[in-house]
Parts: sequence; structure tokens; C-alpha cells
Amino acid sequence: MDASLLTIQPNAPEPIYRQIVDQLRRLIASGQLLAGEVLPSVRDVAGFHAINPMTVSRAYGMAEAEGLLERLRGKGMAVAATRKAVQSESQRMALLEPQLQALARHANELELPADAVLRRLAKLLGD
Amino acid sequence: MNAVFNAVHMETTHEPVSPLVAQGLAHCYEGSNALNGVDLTIAPGSVLGLIGRNGAGKSTLIRAMLGLLQPISGTAFVFGEPALKLSDDTKSRIAYVPQQPDALAWLTAQQMLDFVGRFYPRWDSAFAKSTLERWKIQPNRLLAKLSPGERQRVDLIRALASQPELLVLDEPAAALDPVARRELLRELALRAGEAGTTVLFSTHIVSDLERVASEVAFLHEGKILLRCGVDDTKERYARLWLPAKISAAAPSQSLSRRRNEDGSLSLIVARDANGQWPEASTLPGARIDALGLEDLFVEIAE
Repeated sequence: MDASLLTIQPNAPEPIYRQIVDQLRRLIASGQLLAGEVLPSVRDVAGFHAINPMTVSRAYGMAEAEGLLERLRGKGMAVAATRKAVQSESQRMALLEPQLQALARHANELELPADAVLRRLAKLLGD
Repeated sequence: MNAVFNAVHMETTHEPVSPLVAQGLAHCYEGSNALNGVDLTIAPGSVLGLIGRNGAGKSTLIRAMLGLLQPISGTAFVFGEPALKLSDDTKSRIAYVPQQPDALAWLTAQQMLDFVGRFYPRWDSAFAKSTLERWKIQPNRLLAKLSPGERQRVDLIRALASQPELLVLDEPAAALDPVARRELLRELALRAGEAGTTVLFSTHIVSDLERVASEVAFLHEGKILLRCGVDDTKERYARLWLPAKISAAAPSQSLSRRRNEDGSLSLIVARDANGQWPEASTLPGARIDALGLEDLFVEIAE
């Protein structure tokens, strides 16, 4: 994996370490990163994006604690071998949760009836 | 008696000496208060970004912390030494780049770097040479003939090439184009992370700070209004918006409070000890919005 695969938005409300973990989760869940694939070093990611190396370490540490990554001796971080390329439906569904909650909140603010929102969503999903 | 106690105390603890400490710094210019009692301690290896509006006292604070001006009251320490009486040894561990460097103007960029390089034990002349080229400075022009931006670039090169343990930069971004600015940020981030360099920099460009700083200090009207880890700040504070009809339910504790024209209320609120937003955020119609540092700063500095 190349450090340029990550997108960093420093001025977003989301801290940078969370942005990195979220992207790793998505890349792994979608199979764009496969089990055993080695990640760029902390220095490479920090250097490429001009961000603090501590932030990258923190993100890698969090992804490791979650079981997304594992430390390979002498090679650095890699996608955990136990990760199936494609995760269960409920795991993939969990990745959408923040967007779904935001959608629900906006719909409520606009006082839209639930069935109208669901009909539109079903259409977008190609049902 | 006190001195003896302190000496014993210092020998028995193994805490590293803070590169920079300010205690109750106060200063004023012609009757207007520039610093209003600032306390600030910077831990070794951290990158502290200082933000504040023009005239908030950023440059004054930096100069007072380094002993370059004598405050009306308060004390500053650099690597444990009183800032106003630094030893040569301590001076060689620091590099400071002012907003408008003006020293040694009768030398060319190359002569200046060769000259000052001799005073620094860890001078990196290869870095100085290649960076002059990359940042498009003509090495044989007199410093006096360079534009203010070019002048500050040369001074940044001087500061970085000396490989200091403490690097203090006053508005370094102003002099650089986006490519050179990114390069400077990369240098700061990697040196802090790998060489353990401690960095203090002031800036207007909040996204630069969000990239490389581990901590942020908001200086407002001569006081530190907020000092927090960059990630913590983003996770701990948010804007709570309450429509007019429920604005009476607003929490009493908030960093700022603004009544909008339509009677609604915008507040900057913090999570409680359990990570929860104030009760009012759960009322129907209430909204919590996460904020970037810039929005947060604008809200509390108004």
C-alpha cells in the first residue's frame, strides 16, 4: 500500500488519527487492502502528508488494538492475516452507521416523513 | 534553605527539564496590555501551535519566553535557565526565527550561513545548501537586497540547519509558497517525531497547525484562553445550537454564547467527564455540530 492512498483533511472536525483508522477500516472491508499486505511506515505516511508521526502511530496502534492490523517482525504493520477479504454483512453495515445517523438527523430536522426518505433511498440503491 | 531543597529535589527526580516555561508573564506597550499573566509549559518533543488574532500578543509572548524582552512581571525559563540570563551552551540548543529577521544584512545568504554555521556544533551544511536551492534563494545576493519573504526563508534555513533541540518560529508560513510551506511542515513533523525536537510556532493558518501540532494554545487578549491536545480539542468541544423556543434550556457552562438574530442560541460546549454532551443537546430541535479548530477559534475569540 502507498501512503498516497490515504486522504488527510487537516481542517475537518474529525481528528487526523480517526480519519486514518476510518479509511483503513473501509479499505480492508472492501477488499482493497488484502490480509498480509504491508502498510507504509509511520515515517512515510507522516512525511508524505506532512503530519505529526505521533498521529500516525496512534492510528496504527488503534487499528492494531481493533484487530485490523498486526505488527510483523522486521516489516512493520500489515493487514491482519485473520481478516477475511470481505467481512460479514453486519460488519460492513457498521461502517455505514455514522452516515446513516447523519442522514436520519438531517431528515428529522427537515421534518420529512420516514417513508418518503426510505422510498428515495431504495431508489438510489437500485431496488 | 529553599535552594538546597530544590537542588536535592532535582537530583532525585528524573523528569526531563522543560525546554520552555512561562510563569505569570505580563507586558504592555504604551499603556495597552500585551500579555496579561501567561503561564505556559512546553514538554520536550511536543509541537505547540500558538494561534490568536493580530495583536493578541503572540510575538510578544515568544520574545518574552526567549528572554528577548524583559517582561514587566513574571519569569521565563529555557531548559531550566532564566530566559534573561541564558548561557552560551543553552543558546546553541535553540533556534528562533522572528517574523522579520534583520540581522547580518551586509552579508550574502551564503556568507551568513557559512558564518553562523561555525557556531553550531551540529550544523548541517548539506541541508543548508540544498534548501537554499529548492527555496529559490540566490546565494550571492546581499540579505539587505532580499524581499522580506526571502529573508525569512534564509532565516528558516539557518534555524533548521543548526539542528536545534528547541525550534521557535514566529509566523513561518507567511514567507513560503504552498510547496515550500508543506516542506517546512514535513521537516517540523519529522524532527519532532524522530529527533525529539521541541517546536513552538505561531501561525494564522490553522490547517498547518492541525497537521503537525500535538497541542494548540489560543492566545486571546494577552491570556491563554485554551490549551489542549489538537485531537482532544476536536473531540471535546462542539457547537450546540438551540432554536429560540427552547433556548432557555441552555446549559450555564459554555466557552462562548451567541444569540442569533432569529432568537436561536449558539454555544461552544464541552463533553462532561463521561463523554456526554450537555443535557440540552438531546432536546428536540437541538443540534450538535463538530468543529474544526478554525471554527472553534472564531467562535471563542469573537
